[in-house]
Amino acid sequence: MAAQLWWIVHKDLVSECRTWRVWPAMLLFGLVVAFVFGVQADLPPDQRPQIAGGLLWLAIFFAGMQAVDHSCGAEREEGCWDGLMLYPIGAAAIYLAKLAVNAIALAALECLLIPAFAALADVPLMSHPGAMLLVALLGNVGICAVGTLLSGLVAGVRHGGSLLVLIVLPLVIPVVLAAAEATRLAAEGQLGPEWWRWVHLLAAFAAIFVTAGATLFDFVIRD
Amino acid sequence: MPRTADLLGPSKERPGDNLGTVPIFAQRKWDCPPLGCRIIPDVLTGSLVAAGLLAISLLAPTEKTMGDAQRILYVHVAAAWCGLAGFLIVAASGLLYLLRRDLGWDHWAQAAAEMAWLCCGLTLITGSFWAHAAWNTWWTWEPRLAATAILWAVSSGYLIVRSGVEDPHRRARMGAVLALVAAADIPLVVMATRWFRGIHPAAPQMDPAMRLVLLLSIVGFSAFFGLLLVRRRGQLRLESLLGALEREIDG
Amino acid sequence: MSDRTIAVQASRLTKVFGSRVVLREVDLEAAEGEIVVLTGANGAGKTTLLRCLASLTRPTSGDVRWFGRPAGAEPAARRLVGMVPHQSCIYPHLTVRENVVFAARMQGLREAGRRADEWIAAAGLRPYAHRLATHLSRGMRQRVALARALVHDPPIVLMDEPFAGLDAEAAAWLVDLLAEFRGRSRVVCLATHDPDMTQGLTGRVFHLQSGRIEPPEPRRVVATGHNPGESLAA
Repeated sequence: MAAQLWWIVHKDLVSECRTWRVWPAMLLFGLVVAFVFGVQADLPPDQRPQIAGGLLWLAIFFAGMQAVDHSCGAEREEGCWDGLMLYPIGAAAIYLAKLAVNAIALAALECLLIPAFAALADVPLMSHPGAMLLVALLGNVGICAVGTLLSGLVAGVRHGGSLLVLIVLPLVIPVVLAAAEATRLAAEGQLGPEWWRWVHLLAAFAAIFVTAGATLFDFVIRD
Repeated sequence: MPRTADLLGPSKERPGDNLGTVPIFAQRKWDCPPLGCRIIPDVLTGSLVAAGLLAISLLAPTEKTMGDAQRILYVHVAAAWCGLAGFLIVAASGLLYLLRRDLGWDHWAQAAAEMAWLCCGLTLITGSFWAHAAWNTWWTWEPRLAATAILWAVSSGYLIVRSGVEDPHRRARMGAVLALVAAADIPLVVMATRWFRGIHPAAPQMDPAMRLVLLLSIVGFSAFFGLLLVRRRGQLRLESLLGALEREIDG
Repeated sequence: MSDRTIAVQASRLTKVFGSRVVLREVDLEAAEGEIVVLTGANGAGKTTLLRCLASLTRPTSGDVRWFGRPAGAEPAARRLVGMVPHQSCIYPHLTVRENVVFAARMQGLREAGRRADEWIAAAGLRPYAHRLATHLSRGMRQRVALARALVHDPPIVLMDEPFAGLDAEAAAWLVDLLAEFRGRSRVVCLATHDPDMTQGLTGRVFHLQSGRIEPPEPRRVVATGHNPGESLAA
């Protein structure tokens, strides 16, 4: 299963690298949000980490949904979902592969967006890179766990693309809140019990919804 | 192809049950019950709702700081309870559909989702009025209210997604998956909003009379919710039976 | 036929989409070494029947079995089936070779590259092996789809309109391939709306009309171009 999982990830990354259909738009969207925030924010320095954390994660969410929507939507071209379902691979493995592709996309976005926010908002987001890496990893997995499952759900629905944000955003509010708070605390250098509480919430969310997604994905993709 | 008789089971018609012009397929007991059986739940529910409203209006003491505006709370809490219960029914029915592939469970899910959406909307509206009366603000980020807003948004998404799918089994599958994900999510939402606001709400200190009125209100509201749920589910089931009949006639 | 193992079996298969009944209590059996041709007009239910046989679509009622076991019950059992669906199932932004190698790897084949190269050569695709699938003609994509579906040499082969878009040379190659499958005890179910395309094949023909096999009896036997006078006992 691990090998099959890897080949699906490899196939998706190769396709994206050849076409650049999603990543450039996703990165540009994130940068525009960062720029807009930087232009209008004449906030006192002590308020900037909180606002920056929340806006950063909203930007990651909205930009990332483009990649998430595409990961399942692209399989509908040429009937490739049928092809995937004909292989001797469980739906859970397909789900985990798509989740990995989406998480990689969000990671690429964050490599650009976090330094951009740090520079434009003048907030020390990179002051504790290890902490930011952990928050980013868990936040990615949490958002992608729900997004990947539901993108498969709406892939065949009328106006599915616009529905995806509508149904995913309310569900990932715990992730956005927790990641925003953990980012703020990391930027302020407060890596104590409160920071760990938010990280634990992120980890719990990721664990619960990766499990739920792997269990339910078969019902999503198979008639 | 499944025939109508297979869907309905053997006829349980008894003397006096036949309503003359009502077609045979509709004479299953709980789709078109005898007149007495239909009226009793309506009368009972009406009585409970009336008792609740009378209790709110006449029995509940006037709260010393908010005055009569405080009475909104009795409707607000009852609606919130019904909204949450409705959503739990959606999730449970969805799970049962996935396990049994019986569209009957999906009818319960659809009916409960509509009731939950209504009740969550009512909770938000009454909550706004209560907040305005109490704190002169139309919205407060109290964790349970925030969770209700998210539940309303999820219910809205659930109904919109379902409306975009024609095939009933596909619609049922999608609804079930979405409901199960949302059900797992709501406790995390409450936890996150509670930590975020640093609020740890304590149980409100209520006068025993107020507590009694609240209980009556919850019972009345729940009875009304339950009646609407059963009636709406009956409608959905009849629609499904009609569809099966049409296919049998065309086939 | 009684001595051969029943490879694919559908019993009282019914499929309803919304208010449309697409399949109505269809019974079908295909043994090893047999070719079954499904004919019928557009909308007769051929594609849905094949999808049910491949466990891509769950029937509303009825049963599908592969070699006596419930179809698609375990992922590993899907190695028994190779399907060429209506859409080509190839990734437009991968090359021909990458598409076939991907299929071979997903089927868990060792030496996936070598097996893929064999099928690419057999399908006449060697000159196009490193061309992106999006730059191929309809007929070439169909050949890639065939190579992708058959790279793991499955005992059950399901094909939906396999001749669509193929030129005469490729069509002849496909007919030879299907005859070879029959000789190697593979079972082939193929759907086509044009029975003339199946000239040269020996097998049974089921005609689908409004979701039913009409008439259930007798079954026509297609005259063969390879072994004149040979026919399967019904």
